[in-house]
Amino acid sequence: MDGNYVALGVTLAVWIGLFLYLFRLDKRVKQLERKN
Amino acid sequence: MWWKLLLFLGMSAMIVVSFTVPAPQPTIGESSRIFYYHIPQAWICVLAFAMAMVYSIQYLRTKNQSFDDRAASAAALGLVFCILATLSGSIFAKVTWGSFWNWDPRETSIFILLLIYGAYFALRGAVETEERRAALSAVYAIFAFVTVPFLIFVVPRVVPSLHPADSVVDKNLKFTMGTQVRLIFFSSLILFTLLYLWMFWLANRVQSIVRRREERD
Repeated sequence: MDGNYVALGVTLAVWIGLFLYLFRLDKRVKQLERKN
Repeated sequence: MWWKLLLFLGMSAMIVVSFTVPAPQPTIGESSRIFYYHIPQAWICVLAFAMAMVYSIQYLRTKNQSFDDRAASAAALGLVFCILATLSGSIFAKVTWGSFWNWDPRETSIFILLLIYGAYFALRGAVETEERRAALSAVYAIFAFVTVPFLIFVVPRVVPSLHPADSVVDKNLKFTMGTQVRLIFFSSLILFTLLYLWMFWLANRVQSIVRRREERD
């Protein structure tokens, strides 16, 4: 397989993982802010 | 909410386009694509350290603890992006020069920068009194930032280096990139800045929740 597509897949996976983590963290922080 | 969706779609599109659309650079080949990630990471590193300095000055002027929290969050994110820029740079070095680390002036200067900001957190960890910690680290962050333009912009241009010097602008400050590459590069720069600001905002919100809880207990 072309190395470019492997690098593209890895970069996309890292970005999606990071985005989901930040999105969930944002939601959790919002809940905590409401509680406080 | 809408801007988070925009960031997600924009960054995803930028990643796909950066690997598929522009032709590889003639001299360094496919490894040139790392440019769309490495330079924005280095830019965020400078921006975050500058913000740490500004919040440190604000702390020293007002003695408001929240400015110290913001300075620490900015420096922490700056350090993370500095590590990412170092890693992406050493991947480029391996592909282009055959070795992950060559002690090139650019590599040496970013290594010194990592040590300087690593020491900032060692200092914060070593002082127990909150006010004293905030005051000492604010003074340190101001002096630490003085080295940033010198280490990132001056040293690598004064000392002969293997690192490409005219990736963005040439000696006459004219853009060296074609329109397509310029468009992807500046999109990446804006998207990375947005991502950093989101992370910074989140870190501050977490910090203020912790502070409120500490005050209550």
